Amino acid sequence: MIRQVLIISLVLIPFVSLFLAIPAIEFENREAIFHSIGLIVLLSAINVWLATAFAWWLLWTESKWRYILEWLVFLPLFIPMLATLFGLYLILAEAGLIGTYIGVSLGLLVVTLPYSIRLAYNGMAVIGRPLLEQARLLPMRRRFVYVLFPLFSRTMRTIALFTTVILLSQFALIQLIGAGLIPTVTTELYQSYAGNNLSLALSNTWMLIFFPVLIYFLLSGWSRWMVRMLKGRLQ
Amino acid sequence: MSLNVKAIRKQFGTRQILNSVDFEVQPHDIHAIVGVSGSGKSTILRIIAGLETTDGGDVLWNNKSLLNIPAHKRRVTMLSQSALLFPHLTVGENVTLATRSRSRKQAEEWLQVVRLGDRYDAEIHELSGGEQQRVSLARALAAEPELLLLDEPFTNLDPKLKVDLQRFIRDLVKELKLTAILVTHDREEAMLMADRVTLLESGEVTRTGTVEQLYDTAPGFGDFVMLEGELRPLAEVEVSETAGEPVQLMKKIYRFGQCFGEYHFEDGRSVMLSTEESFQIGMMYRIKRKEG
Repeated sequence: MIRQVLIISLVLIPFVSLFLAIPAIEFENREAIFHSIGLIVLLSAINVWLATAFAWWLLWTESKWRYILEWLVFLPLFIPMLATLFGLYLILAEAGLIGTYIGVSLGLLVVTLPYSIRLAYNGMAVIGRPLLEQARLLPMRRRFVYVLFPLFSRTMRTIALFTTVILLSQFALIQLIGAGLIPTVTTELYQSYAGNNLSLALSNTWMLIFFPVLIYFLLSGWSRWMVRMLKGRLQ
Repeated sequence: MSLNVKAIRKQFGTRQILNSVDFEVQPHDIHAIVGVSGSGKSTILRIIAGLETTDGGDVLWNNKSLLNIPAHKRRVTMLSQSALLFPHLTVGENVTLATRSRSRKQAEEWLQVVRLGDRYDAEIHELSGGEQQRVSLARALAAEPELLLLDEPFTNLDPKLKVDLQRFIRDLVKELKLTAILVTHDREEAMLMADRVTLLESGEVTRTGTVEQLYDTAPGFGDFVMLEGELRPLAEVEVSETAGEPVQLMKKIYRFGQCFGEYHFEDGRSVMLSTEESFQIGMMYRIKRKEG
């Protein structure tokens, strides 16, 4: 029991400190919020789509390139983020995408996609190949709507949450590739830290926490409602 | 509509699983593919279902190649060792999903056919193994397949349920005039259910024929019997009332207008032989070499 209490305390310590000061009620830079929400929605959707498609391919392919491709896709997981970031910076600079919304989105996609594919692949492995094979015998729309979506919705939610958390943790990437022109909640947070405004920093920190929690509840509710609705169509 | 499997080859890594496999399935037949584990029999089914690709050869359904048609468009359904029902759906929802018009009414009718008409709203985990396999059968049939693939679907069932379901599926396939392929390692099961049998060994077809042909001619098809101190294929022995080793007839199975009997020796071995209907269950007979 002591061990469990110790572990939980370790996990919760950072959050306890957030209650030690009173946060400012308003968040000044609305543009940063809109950018953050836009990036979260866009990248979560793209990550779920690409990761699911690639994991599905990995699961069934008999290509001799499978292992090489799998290794290449998961390679960024083992490489320090700054190395990836610098390589990305050079390519995007060459393409003239530094300081643009597209450049930041591409950069964040490169960083988040390997994690998403790994999550999607593991999610499919949990469902199991034999069950997914039964689904393959169903017409394509039914397969995705009535089988894959309900069975895979938790994994999709995890991918969206992971994308959100990684995205909100990326100060260096957004600052470097966005060239300071794409403000997000994260970049604002660092500025408030730098300005020694504890109340504003706290407000921004709560905003950082608020996004994933909100997304978690929204996605949970939505997927539960969708599954119930889809099951209703089979009655 | 017949199925032609032509010179199919398949290799996994360096291992040759199927080596130029040929056989033909006649319309409305149950065709058994019999072989030991690793002989490649399930791989054939998976290729026919579209779940596996081939390295060569072709699969023709009504003289049209199936190989370039995606799995869901082949009108083929598969029943496996596990029921593989979708766990988030109820019994009825699993079957409704498979019907072509997503119709609850049709699903209920199919559940009636498998004698589970009152379990539409039951959760999958509430069902026994045999019931789950019957739901799986209802789901497979609800898709109105032209070809039913049976991949050792009786393996995980207890003996009584196994025999019941074997007969039930055979009768149903015949009644609905379906074509079915049964993959099994159990020769007795093949003999009970199939019209024709293909014997597969290390990815190669060793023999194809009707059950009667293989029963009479294929070495190794059917059990061997220890008789006069020697192992003999069943085709060489017969039952009489007068001379030979004593056995007891346990049950009779009627197939193709012929009667098969399951005989038990005192030491627990059992064999199946074609026999006369006049033999009585529970009585002692004699098993001996066929004359000539």
